Amino acid sequence: MKKVMEITLGIVTAVGGFLEMGSVATAAQAGAAFGYDLLWAILLGTLCLIFLVEMSGRFSAVSKHTIVDGMRERFGFPFFAIVLIGITVVLFIVLVAELAGIGLSVQILTGIGFPWWAIPVSLAVWFLMWKGTFSLIENGVSVLGLVTICFIVAAVKLHPDWGSAAHGLLPTFPGDQKAKYGFIAVSILGASVSPHLMYFYCSGAIEDKWDESYIPINRVIAGLGMTFGGVLSMGVLIAAALAFRPNGIDVQTFEQTALLMTTALPKWGFFLFAASMLFACLGAALETSLAIAYFFAQGFGWNWSENLAPSKNARFAFTYTVIILLAAVPLLLGIDPFQVTMMSMALTSATLPLAIVPFLFLMNDPIYLGKYRNGWLSNSVVAIVILISFVLAVISIPLEIIGG
Amino acid sequence: MDLVRDVLDKKLIDRENCPMGRVDGLVMHVGERSQPTITHIEIGGTTPWMRLHPAIARLAARLARMWGPKRGEPVKIPWSRVMTVGKDIKLDVRAKDTGALDWEIWIARHIIERIPGGGHEEEE
Repeated sequence: MKKVMEITLGIVTAVGGFLEMGSVATAAQAGAAFGYDLLWAILLGTLCLIFLVEMSGRFSAVSKHTIVDGMRERFGFPFFAIVLIGITVVLFIVLVAELAGIGLSVQILTGIGFPWWAIPVSLAVWFLMWKGTFSLIENGVSVLGLVTICFIVAAVKLHPDWGSAAHGLLPTFPGDQKAKYGFIAVSILGASVSPHLMYFYCSGAIEDKWDESYIPINRVIAGLGMTFGGVLSMGVLIAAALAFRPNGIDVQTFEQTALLMTTALPKWGFFLFAASMLFACLGAALETSLAIAYFFAQGFGWNWSENLAPSKNARFAFTYTVIILLAAVPLLLGIDPFQVTMMSMALTSATLPLAIVPFLFLMNDPIYLGKYRNGWLSNSVVAIVILISFVLAVISIPLEIIGG
Repeated sequence: MDLVRDVLDKKLIDRENCPMGRVDGLVMHVGERSQPTITHIEIGGTTPWMRLHPAIARLAARLARMWGPKRGEPVKIPWSRVMTVGKDIKLDVRAKDTGALDWEIWIARHIIERIPGGGHEEEE
């Protein structure tokens, strides 16, 4: 019975944790600009994420180490330092995007401008980290995050042509706007294959004291949870394709994105959209800041746990405090949240090899995993998706910067 | 035992299972006729940064002198204190007495405890 509860909770966490500012912004842009054509990118990203999340959980359950522990121990301090800098920069930009998402949701609910929300929002996120425990963050935010299921309701209510949607699951070569097509595909891959989810998930397995008996549960959670999450993202894309494409709207702002809900659900759409984005971005902001703090603490061998009082792991608490406060600065300076989001997702894609390749080495190491190490299937799926997203990123990011 | 594979960069825990950093460096004694022996484990200070680049290590040392507990020297633990080398390395010391937690304690006392709800580092 306890295990059934854990599976349910795990899936809820996965569903609630999947959708965030990045996946909504990228899926909405994709739907508005290219209809169903980019559904394949979500499918590919989700498939890769299922494998990665399963691996992270298995790594922690068997080795009682996190990915970051393994990376430092196997590759040494100099390599770790380089990965640390790269991942911290990217995760920091993602955190800025998530805080912006929370701020924008509060803005459309209250009508008070978004830069005013920068400080209150960061303080609220920090306060939850300061006072909250791991299970509060894991369960509380993910249960609230289930409101994002309304995106699937919106997609279904707009009566999509399921046949042509299914065609979108296979990659097609774009007729025109090749650079934009590539850039959005890269951003979708970056939004789906988010490394912060891996660091968060494997640290969570340690916080929850997983052992080898959790391997089957872990597989179910990763498989079902991430599949549901991917379906949510596809719901956003389909709803955007139906709400924006016929009217020729190019999604450039957060307020426009709300239209994909209000078209389907005129009465409640606006509030559902604001609530969904608020909870989804809050969850992602907490996970991202925790992921950065975990990275530092585990890499340097500090004491860490979200379940301890801050003074019991002072350097860990200090790290997330500084990171969250710094993330408020770009918001105060009035950055364009939508552009930051798209760029952070594309950058995530470009830096995936940095995060994933060393991880694949660890997943094949008998010293850490013994008989539980990766098979050829997991290795190939992840390696291929990482290669695709890296190549796409290297080609399309410069084109997007030159073009836009 | 392979020093680089099994010891370097491993996590160190003290007698009471308190994490006290990682093995950032190893000090070896090379005698004139005897076999070289590992004498100390180094934790923190400039040691890890020296593995990246001497300039970064100098910068780290200068920053460490200006701020915090004002120590730039790595903590040295004699190899004789090593109890077990496994997944982690267990040392027969009390972390707080070695200086390995100086930064942790400094940040706890000067920053974290002053923020409401931070708790106190010394409570058990």
